[in-house]
Amino acid sequence: MSDVKVEAVELAPVDKLVTKQLPAAEIVGESPLHHADLISVAEHGPQEGGVHFHERKLMGLLTLRCLPSAEQQEVIKALLGVALPMQPLTSVTADDSPIGKVSVRWVSPDEWLIIVAGEQAFELETRFFEQLTGHYSLVNISGGTTIFDVSGRHVVDMLKKSTPVDLHGSEFPVGKVVSTVFAKSGAMICRVAEDQFELVVRRSFADYLWLWIQDASREYGLVVHH
Amino acid sequence: MTQDLSKQSNRLLEGGRIDRAKPLTFTYNGKQYKGFEGDTLASALLANGVDIVGRSFKYSRPRGIVAAGAEEPNAIMQIGSTEATQIPNVRATQQSLYAGLVASSTNGWPNVDMDLMGLVGKVGGKMMPPGFYYKTFMYPKSMWETYESYIRKAAGLGRAPKENDPDIYDKMNQHCDLLIVGAGPAGLMAALTAARAGARVIIADEQNEFGGSLLSSKETLNGKPAAEWVKDVVQELSGFDDVLMLPNSQVNGYHDHNFLTIQQHCTDQFADRAPNGQIAQRLHRVRAKWVILATGAHERPLVYGNNDIPGCMVANAVSTYINRYGVAPGKDLVLMTSNDNAYRAALDWHDAGRRVVAIVDSRKNPKGTFVEAARERGISILVGSGVIEAHGNKRVTGVSIAPLNDAGDAVVGPIVKMAADTVATSGGWSPVIHLSCHTGSRPVWNDDILGFTPGKTYQKQLTAGAINGAFATKEALSEGASAALDALSNLGLAKSDIELPETEAIVEGKAMALFHLPHTKPTSKAPKQFVDYQNDVTAAGIELACREGFESIEHVKRYTAMGFGTDQGKLGNINGMAIAAKMLKQTIPQTGTTIFRPNYTPVTFGAIAGRDCGELFDPKRYTAMHAWHVERGAKFEDVGQWKRAWYYPKGNETMQEALNRECLATRESVGILDASTLGKIDIQGKDAREFLGRVYTNAWAKLPVGKCRYGLMCGEDGMVFDDGVTSCLAENHFLMTTTTGGAARVLSWLEIYHQTEWPELEVYFTSVTDHWSTMTISGPNSRKLLEKLTDYDVSKENMAFMDWKPMTVAGVPARVFRISFTGELSFEINVQANYGMHVWKALFEQGEEFNLTPYGTETMHILRAEKGFIIAGQDTDGSVHPFDLGMSWAVSMQKPFSFIGKRGMQREDCVRADRKQLVGLKTLDPNVVLPEGAQGVLDPKAPIPMPMVGHVTSSYWSANLKRSVAMGFVKGGLDKMGEKVFYPLADGRVIEAEICSPVFLDPKGERQHV
Repeated sequence: MSDVKVEAVELAPVDKLVTKQLPAAEIVGESPLHHADLISVAEHGPQEGGVHFHERKLMGLLTLRCLPSAEQQEVIKALLGVALPMQPLTSVTADDSPIGKVSVRWVSPDEWLIIVAGEQAFELETRFFEQLTGHYSLVNISGGTTIFDVSGRHVVDMLKKSTPVDLHGSEFPVGKVVSTVFAKSGAMICRVAEDQFELVVRRSFADYLWLWIQDASREYGLVVHH
Repeated sequence: MTQDLSKQSNRLLEGGRIDRAKPLTFTYNGKQYKGFEGDTLASALLANGVDIVGRSFKYSRPRGIVAAGAEEPNAIMQIGSTEATQIPNVRATQQSLYAGLVASSTNGWPNVDMDLMGLVGKVGGKMMPPGFYYKTFMYPKSMWETYESYIRKAAGLGRAPKENDPDIYDKMNQHCDLLIVGAGPAGLMAALTAARAGARVIIADEQNEFGGSLLSSKETLNGKPAAEWVKDVVQELSGFDDVLMLPNSQVNGYHDHNFLTIQQHCTDQFADRAPNGQIAQRLHRVRAKWVILATGAHERPLVYGNNDIPGCMVANAVSTYINRYGVAPGKDLVLMTSNDNAYRAALDWHDAGRRVVAIVDSRKNPKGTFVEAARERGISILVGSGVIEAHGNKRVTGVSIAPLNDAGDAVVGPIVKMAADTVATSGGWSPVIHLSCHTGSRPVWNDDILGFTPGKTYQKQLTAGAINGAFATKEALSEGASAALDALSNLGLAKSDIELPETEAIVEGKAMALFHLPHTKPTSKAPKQFVDYQNDVTAAGIELACREGFESIEHVKRYTAMGFGTDQGKLGNINGMAIAAKMLKQTIPQTGTTIFRPNYTPVTFGAIAGRDCGELFDPKRYTAMHAWHVERGAKFEDVGQWKRAWYYPKGNETMQEALNRECLATRESVGILDASTLGKIDIQGKDAREFLGRVYTNAWAKLPVGKCRYGLMCGEDGMVFDDGVTSCLAENHFLMTTTTGGAARVLSWLEIYHQTEWPELEVYFTSVTDHWSTMTISGPNSRKLLEKLTDYDVSKENMAFMDWKPMTVAGVPARVFRISFTGELSFEINVQANYGMHVWKALFEQGEEFNLTPYGTETMHILRAEKGFIIAGQDTDGSVHPFDLGMSWAVSMQKPFSFIGKRGMQREDCVRADRKQLVGLKTLDPNVVLPEGAQGVLDPKAPIPMPMVGHVTSSYWSANLKRSVAMGFVKGGLDKMGEKVFYPLADGRVIEAEICSPVFLDPKGERQHV
């Protein structure tokens, strides 16, 4: 395979590749739970119950990996409209950032998840590429990820069946985020309100986790929203 | 209110915590009985005068209910009204009665009253002396299965249901500041103290109601019946948000790091089957900052002749049945005791209007509150005496009483016989130290209480109440409160305001150390004196073990089976140790104790499995095009957790027919594979290229932007563990692909090497496996198909083999890689996964004219085998390096920096000429397909065992070549081209094959270069 002749490279000699990944708006994307037909479930399923479920689909999700210098932190703050949460297990959100609503979640000492509207991901990538210098990586993972919004008066009970993390308000306040075991898969869990959590899950595990959540919610009643 | 007590001959007219307005009908061994709500199965059986609840393990002796809690050794039931709802090994003392409950004794063949084994009981006993397990079962080994089924049937171990359990079991993770085990006086007091201070508390108790000993006691607290105090405390606790109360919940295991498991019975105390949607049992997985064990104590029965005849009970159980359930389990009671405490059983019996024949006290001069109360009631007390033998067969009819010496180990006077139907005994109390022992803590003997208490702890564990030997209610309450205060202080929480309830003034005299009553005959000749009822271990058996030279108590235990199985020595262990100690002429602490392991009582498999069963047993991972594969009728194959399309049968096609069609269509026109499951890792940073050079065996320094290259990844030992194509997206930006199954491992591997070995390299890795949908179109018409969907120039001139280009496919931005795993002209189209299905469908819309054929993993395997391409994990097994695979072209020994595996593959053993090497195998008969795994030999006539030279790793029928193709390992195979190798099979056939190049098709690689 090394006998191939090297041909002229037509790509611009840039150090990183940033490309648009979304088609024109008339081509509608299928989220990881597309097959579950949540629209019908929401319409015909129970309207009352202890656990509520909603897929926040087709969002823009980007993984930022960086050990940011003070200078980089300044640039990132300007790009996101909020400072990177440097405190482990914390998150920040802003409604009025330069790219609209944004949520930034701490993942590990050199990793954050940035959530924006689906169509903003490429825009944000481009701005990072243009403005942030030094060592970092920003990777669009929107297609490989979806967000489950779970809420309700029994949401903590459902989650207690699924993850060993302590979800008591004293240990897991609003805004806290953890990446951890969820059933036999994993999820990034963020408390967005007293009785509301967002689970960021991988596309290929989404169906399993959706089945699991239905099962774990059964005794409390599950309401699906579209 | 009129009560139908016609059949409940032992039910008292009043009293107990049962609801007499709610009668319940239940079935035991095929007969119907009545009980009340609030009964346990045991109390209801006793109320109905059911004496025999099982037959003993070795001797098949009739056995009755002995105790009232988890320690019950005999009343072990099979519960369930249908085959699917069978639960074995349920203690009748822990099973709440419900309407329609169906129970049967697990031992007794064919039934407990008329037992066939009884006829051979003595013979069986002789056949099974102590040590039976070791003497018999170890040899001959082949007989074990026969013995086991016989023993299981005879031993009362119950049976598993033959149908699927319809109930739902689940698990819940819990966290708390303080887990309190046991809701007796100590536990409740601790919970109240901690709850008022604002701590997060979980309190669990195995019984259906909180209160422990207070529920069956006539004591008062604050001048009111103790049960009222319990009610007030429970009510107050239920008002705290951060207090979780778990009745019907057995804390079964105490594991490392203060992790405890609790089995909660949510509905199976109310019904055979959980109402729709409800959880039958829940396993709580608790991580507690601190634990208070307030597990109480079990009363020890005394060991005397025929002490297993139904009607022989522990003293406290008698009180419990009377006070808590309104059941007096007999008419005429003899109480045998070595302590004051047990007098309460006689007082309760007397107060229930039944006759106390006598209290037999081993002590010469008993004094104390309860003793005086007995005297006031005119109950006859025989001091300095002992019950040395019970009489009767299926029920006690009387006892033999004899005067004892001061030590209580010899009969010193004439025997008196008395008629009685119930014998209650007490040798004192054994603290329930099981959970403490689970943590590895060894218990210590306490002479004051004649029992073992928890030893030095390795956990954040406190103890309170009877587990410490604080048997009196007053002490238990006080210890509960102070343990909670200690816990609060350890937790950094402020103390709460707490007052102890006022208790009655009770004075108890000193107890005597008595375990095993003497008989006029030596132990070996006396009537059987049982120590462990469940395992049929007698005092004589323990003495025999000691005589046979077993000096360690652990050996005595294993020799006799004392404390084995579900019993865990709850009633018998201390008595057994005392008997062994006496035989060995040493003290009990010198003899030591065996310790206990989880679980405290049997746990159902349902609770252990939880929801990880059926559809949820293991995650199933799907690609974005999965629904299409399902609709197209694909058969699926598990690859790790992925469900990959295996092949797509049409109509009535067999698998081979489908594969032939898929293979031919791909090589003749164009096929398509969903390759989304391949691991994909985005690699960025100025040192990305350098990093690749260190983890791959080949060179990466000069790979230009826009190009792709195949790489092999090896472990430090030089052995191949993964492979794949990595593409240069930009100068400092690469996309690595891995095998489907190896994705997670490779990402970890890169991170580990980066974080631990080369942190100075500026590079980051991010998994994008799920982000990109990957579809590979392969075959001579693949370019024509792609051209229909893109405006981009995909000609040979503009897009050569091993190039990648960004372009728009079916309106979606795509990255297209011209790489090939089939040897055909191929394009691997990657699009953002939310648009994978759109592009996939568009390809089919445009592909009709080319007979675009979907193929699965099996056709992929065949097509690549025709080309001699390896699959890591199929053609490698962790013991082959690149040179073994004939892939020296993929190793660069000239790189300036070393690479992982470089030294490993140059070890002496790795450069031997006769290593097993991967070669092609061409069967002499082209129609024969070698079985994968077949072992090759060079001389099929060699005597067995023949020297084997390697196995077949990949083997298929090739429809394209109209013959079989195979790859396999042969020792020194790369130098044996053209030689013969033979595969003798289990069916007697010997397949002959020629060693050849593994590239069966298009050896010059022309097809992929068009």
